[in-house]
Amino acid sequence: MAWELATFSADLLQEPAVDGASVDIVPPGSPVRVTHVLDAVEPRIRPDGRAAFPTEGRAGEGRTNRLDGVVVLSCLDFPGEERPLHEQESIVDLGGPGAALTPFADMTAVVLTFSPGEGGHVAIDVEARRATLAAAEEVARGTLEAEPQGVERLELGPADERLPAVAALIQLSDLGALYIQYVYGAPAGDAGLPRAVDPAEVLDGAVACGEYHWAAMRNPTWFFQRNELIRTLYREHGKTLRFAGVVLMRGYEQSAVEKQKAAERAAAVAGELGSDGVVITTDAGGNSHTDVMLTCRACEEAGIKTTLVLAEETDPQSTKPILTDWVREADSIVSTGNVEELVEAWTPERVLGGDLLLDGTPAREAGPIPVRNYLGAANQMGQLALSARTE
Amino acid sequence: MKAVHYLNQFFAGMGGEDQAETAPTRLEGAVGPGRGLQAELADIEIVATLACGDDYFAEHEAEALEALLEMLAELDPDVLVAGPAFGSGRYGYACARLAAAAAERGIPAVAAMHEDNPGVGEAGAGYVVPTAVNVAGMRDALPRLGALASALASGRELGSAEEEGYLARGFRRNYVAEKTGAERAVELLLAKLAGDTRTEVGGDMDRVEPPPPVSDLSSALVALVTEAGCVPQGNPDHLQSVRAQGWFRYGLGGADTLASGRYESVHGGFDVTLANEDPNRLVPLDTVRGLERAGRVGRVHESLYTTTGNGTPVVVATKFGEEIAGELRDAGVQAVLLSGT
Repeated sequence: MAWELATFSADLLQEPAVDGASVDIVPPGSPVRVTHVLDAVEPRIRPDGRAAFPTEGRAGEGRTNRLDGVVVLSCLDFPGEERPLHEQESIVDLGGPGAALTPFADMTAVVLTFSPGEGGHVAIDVEARRATLAAAEEVARGTLEAEPQGVERLELGPADERLPAVAALIQLSDLGALYIQYVYGAPAGDAGLPRAVDPAEVLDGAVACGEYHWAAMRNPTWFFQRNELIRTLYREHGKTLRFAGVVLMRGYEQSAVEKQKAAERAAAVAGELGSDGVVITTDAGGNSHTDVMLTCRACEEAGIKTTLVLAEETDPQSTKPILTDWVREADSIVSTGNVEELVEAWTPERVLGGDLLLDGTPAREAGPIPVRNYLGAANQMGQLALSARTE
Repeated sequence: MKAVHYLNQFFAGMGGEDQAETAPTRLEGAVGPGRGLQAELADIEIVATLACGDDYFAEHEAEALEALLEMLAELDPDVLVAGPAFGSGRYGYACARLAAAAAERGIPAVAAMHEDNPGVGEAGAGYVVPTAVNVAGMRDALPRLGALASALASGRELGSAEEEGYLARGFRRNYVAEKTGAERAVELLLAKLAGDTRTEVGGDMDRVEPPPPVSDLSSALVALVTEAGCVPQGNPDHLQSVRAQGWFRYGLGGADTLASGRYESVHGGFDVTLANEDPNRLVPLDTVRGLERAGRVGRVHESLYTTTGNGTPVVVATKFGEEIAGELRDAGVQAVLLSGT
């Protein structure tokens, strides 16, 4: 792992929207709390010079180098200007009890803390995201001259026709500035969704995250690059199922009519792939859960069986699981945990990203923190093993 | 480690129904079924047995609990075991109430009774081990009760109700599963495709059935209610933009419209730019006034009810809804136009 830090931070920033960046390299398992985390990215670079996070051309072809065991965490506290939407607190604990809620505690973390500059929150976000993905490529540059420790081929060979055909229906957020996931650099709402993509495209940098709503229910970029659902379906292809493909659809459609239309079109695309069943995933909550439920119903009505992956938002004193929306067809749901449960207090030795949480609490002595504020902890793509059960 | 065992007057050997008025009594060591229970406990000694008459507990619950808790505090056990009460309602109730009170005070507690015993719903954060309906089930119940009591006393984290053999208390608790959500989702889907539909989140969701239509809107009093975070400009009562702590009532004062600059939305869950250019698009007062003038709705209620629906726990939102609905019912409102965002 070799990279020139000096060059790295100087070249990183191009626009005045971000004033500067500090870079901290944190060994695995350090007693460090990282706050205001925008995104998590696996360092990747392509030997053929094409972009690791392409905005044109196609991902999922040729060879991509990945730096295993390293994660780039980008942090930024947006200035307190008036803006239509607010980012929510987003924490990664690399040690302590919160470390069980993230895959990143076992990794070397390259923590980029950006200082916001001028131009408003949209411009700041654009530059921070660009710089983060650029940094992830820079961090991986050393791999170009190294021998790979392993090579993984992503390929779908022929499979027994009698096995059930299963697709992943992945919902991406687009609720306006700061609440957007991107497909080849385009907001999900402008990316021609729903449509089928090659599963390898998703694993190879086609999807990136710029969505800063409830931290636990976000899918940072890393979760697409190492998508557990897609990887599980590759693994099971030819054994227990036929992997029929991936359908990307937008969540947060903005009107009842659009929501219904999007649900039906997504079901139709899953049908065109020949799917017998789909796993439907989502991002964030509330409004997007309605998109999930409508899509579930549309698929079931089209004869495609569904399993949903959802986080619960249940008061810890409540005696039944609570979802903000539900249809009768949703009879097969994986719980990725209850975001309202508190995680035991922990005092880190060091805080990166910003010393104060967004609510003004000192991050070092924040007391118990709800799961809700831990990045990706209850993500609804099934990336992690957190779940909830009735006790 | 120390256990304290709770029994009623009968099982404590103090007498039958004629002694049901017995006040809380402390007996040394294990008594009656406690002797069998003792054999099932791992490295735990039953240091005392607390007994109380079923009628006494039912008729003087507060005093009985106070006396029993005082004895418990003095004994400072690692676990409280109550029963088994089998199908006996009064005994089961006492076991459950004491277990709940002990658990609330940080003493791990487990009661045992039949699953239909009315006490089951009273155990709070205490555990209930299911038993047969009558005393013939003693031999079967004690090993299971002893195992759970031992686990509780050891302080180890308990598994699910199914794994540990207690009745589900109904709390949703996070845990780390053996497989990722994605792997479990694929397994659930393959099972469903094979005809075996299972779920980790039960289908017992709170569904609000639509009420019957208002028979005559032209004579109805209609109220405007919203979760759009719509408040008078400047948000005088500091309604939260997220995770609202309450709701507010604002008099409309006969206004025909929610004028821009006089009302705004403080909702933090959507882009309010367009909404603030015309707050009527959040709460359609202009349109409803038009319908009122045209005689299509009887009258618009004098107040607007508002809160922010964004990240609000459902129990809290339910409470807001009940409070607002109560006021509207008392005011004779027959229909509500509820605008959501």
